[in-house]
Amino acid sequence: MKRHWLVLLGWKLLRLTSLLAAVCFLTFWLVHLSPVDPVQAYIGAEMMLVGPEQRQQIEAYWGLDRPPLERFARWFNALLHGDLGTSMIYRQPVLDIIAARFWSSFLLLAAAWVLSGIIGFAAGIVAAMQRDRWPDRIISWYCYTLAATPAYWIGLVLLLVFSVRLGWFPVGLGAPAGVPAEQVTWWDKLHHMVLPALTLSITGIAPIALHTRQKLLDVLASDFVLFAKARGLQGWKLLRRHGLRNIALPAVSLQFASFSELFGGTVLVEQVFSYPGLGQALVEAGVRGDVPLLLGLVLFSTLFVYVGNGLADGLYRWIDPRMRKGSAV
Amino acid sequence: MGRITGAFLLAVSFLLPLVACSPSTPTAATGDAPRRELILAVGGEPEAGFDPIAGWGRYGSPLFQSTLLKRDNQLQLVRDLAEDYDVSEDGRTWTVALRRDARFSDGRPLTAEDVRFTFETAASNATVLDLTNVARVEAVDDDTVRITLHRPQSTFVNVLATLGIVPKHAYGPDYAERPIGSGPYRLVQWDKGQQMIVEANPYYYGPKPYFERLTFLFLGEDAAFAAAKAGKVDVAYIPAALAGQSVPGMRLVALKTVDNRGIVFPFRPSGGRTAEGFPVGNDVTADPAIRRAVNVAVDRRLLVEGVLNGYGRPAYSAVDDLPWWNEETVIADGDVGGARQMLQAAGWRDDDGDGVLEKGALKAEFTLLYPAGDSTRQALALAVADQLKPVGIRVRVEGKSWDDIRRLMHANAVLLGFGSHDATELYHLHSSKFQGVDFFNPGYYANPAVDAWLEKAMAARTEEEALEYWKRAQWDGRTGLSALGDAPWAWLVNIDHLYLVRDGLDIGRPAIQPHGHGWPITDNIDEWRWRHDGNGGSR
Repeated sequence: MKRHWLVLLGWKLLRLTSLLAAVCFLTFWLVHLSPVDPVQAYIGAEMMLVGPEQRQQIEAYWGLDRPPLERFARWFNALLHGDLGTSMIYRQPVLDIIAARFWSSFLLLAAAWVLSGIIGFAAGIVAAMQRDRWPDRIISWYCYTLAATPAYWIGLVLLLVFSVRLGWFPVGLGAPAGVPAEQVTWWDKLHHMVLPALTLSITGIAPIALHTRQKLLDVLASDFVLFAKARGLQGWKLLRRHGLRNIALPAVSLQFASFSELFGGTVLVEQVFSYPGLGQALVEAGVRGDVPLLLGLVLFSTLFVYVGNGLADGLYRWIDPRMRKGSAV
Repeated sequence: MGRITGAFLLAVSFLLPLVACSPSTPTAATGDAPRRELILAVGGEPEAGFDPIAGWGRYGSPLFQSTLLKRDNQLQLVRDLAEDYDVSEDGRTWTVALRRDARFSDGRPLTAEDVRFTFETAASNATVLDLTNVARVEAVDDDTVRITLHRPQSTFVNVLATLGIVPKHAYGPDYAERPIGSGPYRLVQWDKGQQMIVEANPYYYGPKPYFERLTFLFLGEDAAFAAAKAGKVDVAYIPAALAGQSVPGMRLVALKTVDNRGIVFPFRPSGGRTAEGFPVGNDVTADPAIRRAVNVAVDRRLLVEGVLNGYGRPAYSAVDDLPWWNEETVIADGDVGGARQMLQAAGWRDDDGDGVLEKGALKAEFTLLYPAGDSTRQALALAVADQLKPVGIRVRVEGKSWDDIRRLMHANAVLLGFGSHDATELYHLHSSKFQGVDFFNPGYYANPAVDAWLEKAMAARTEEEALEYWKRAQWDGRTGLSALGDAPWAWLVNIDHLYLVRDGLDIGRPAIQPHGHGWPITDNIDEWRWRHDGNGGSR
């Protein structure tokens, strides 16, 4: 048993390293191909005021005048020594920037993930058990509408209603305005996180609910459920004995698949709420051609999503003993 | 389903306290004593930090540092750190006498050594500042600095007015995050991407600012507006599109600016190439009659009314209302008939009756590019194209990315924007030395007479002496870089910068704002006060 897990871990690590290397190379190449001129993006609004000698000096300073393969080689070499480089925009080590923003994004992501998972799962179950009756209709209608709505728009609507109109929640940022860092409490941080987390959750509910509903409907249409019904089982007992175990696997897949979707969603949501997280940094790095920061963030998010999927894999094997023996289900 | 419903209700009841308990945030309501704190959302976070040597403080007040000179709200130069300054006869040596009571926010005095250090470091670093003309900087004694230039430069005074002085004893790699300066405020806390809290500098040598504490929120324009509507900020910058919305408790302030928009034309006939292989020249716009006709036909007042909703004023040059502006450059525009006459006199005729003029085989049409994503420039470009139709000129409007524009701007007309308090901009835009350099003079404009005036202006001893030359370069009676002369540009409008300001907040009389919405409004922030405060004096 132990050996099985070790072998699994080993394979996963190998795949991870090759994936990361490929992603790095691809990202670097894409940035190189993109028309964004990092010097231009760095100078920004001053663009009209800087002369050509200045530009050359800036290029040389950041090593932008070397051929791309050489730049990649240098970056990769530094990476292997644990140095992710310095961000051009923020003029700070990339690792520092990621570390500083990681927790806010992580909390947001975790809250949204748990919320959308729980509510989506519950809603899907209710819809399937009450098929074609009014709870099902309402939930399905709600989910179909939401699936078509962009997260950005929902964020803006929530902002308008709850922050501007009602004033219940702050307009944005991660901490109250004008309050020094020492006086900011956990409660404050949570308060600022509610709307962004809500936005992400709302959009995350729809696919999970709909898929769960479908899977449960499939299970309810199977023979063993027919047999159980024939014996007189119904409602909650039926669900608990026969339904839950069988939709556990699909639910896990869905839940962990939504991981990467949520990560992408945080980028938009952080923009709407000016929430200081990795998403915001990613947008800035991409738009302004800040290659070290962009590569660092891409690496990090790949790692994050990969670990999430890896956890899903491990969970499968734990939930369903048949998969452990290596035989296909 | 009883249990599930029960669990759901339980979960909801956990969320309720979060909604009910609103932690104490400094609200924007006034109590008995007038509030000495302000919250501003004017965007423009300097991601690279607050290091003047890296370019901080060029737009608006450097806040934490002070400069040797500064401009008042009429844009006249006044002394700040400098008690007096003198320019030698040949214009190459600038001697500055410093005030003796200037101290940094850590209590240490500011001496000539700090000034020398600032200038030397700025000259040797690879940043956005251009100090290549500085030959030598010496601290003659504790209170006197002597700067020697390679060539006389009347616009050097702008460096003295915008380069904040940093302390030699406290300048290190993390200075940008923890700036120490002699300005009216000092940095208390900076949360990157979110907000910045500053407090009044107790060692400041000038009059103590009214507001003891300022919080700057780094929000986008829409988020700033939402914050203003929610009553959470006292000053917010807003885009022109939201100008029609009213927010209770706040008033709309439209500041006059020199933030201009205009069309730059390729000056040369087609056929040339840049060093990188981009095409240079356009046969249609190379004809001065076409350029002058565009200047005369466009109705700038209509553009201000229609595109800017009245928040702006017509622009006839790059430097309207600045001290070096030649007022003669204002031309009578909106004259379609006059434009047609001009073109006819130059040989343009509509022989085939399709509404577009021709001269031989050449049709009067060209492409006008604008940076995609900027809705104001798009609207201006489309409006201008519309206004030129009755004249017989067909304009194809296309939105492109900045990188595409860089490739295409030497052979096509482009809608660009400038606007600086530094007269060097006139030089950069119109001198033949800057043909095809970056975004300066992309049209390859060159006029030896104009060049001569521009060189004289740059080489003058002082700004006052240069004024006459700048004006002559625009129009000297026979030729010039304005619409009266060569018309290499068709300047259109100066946009206003719009802000929502809390009722009762007196922001003084800001000077004409330069290019760049947001920070420039803080230029005179140490003079702001509440209007009806007995202590501070009401206005």
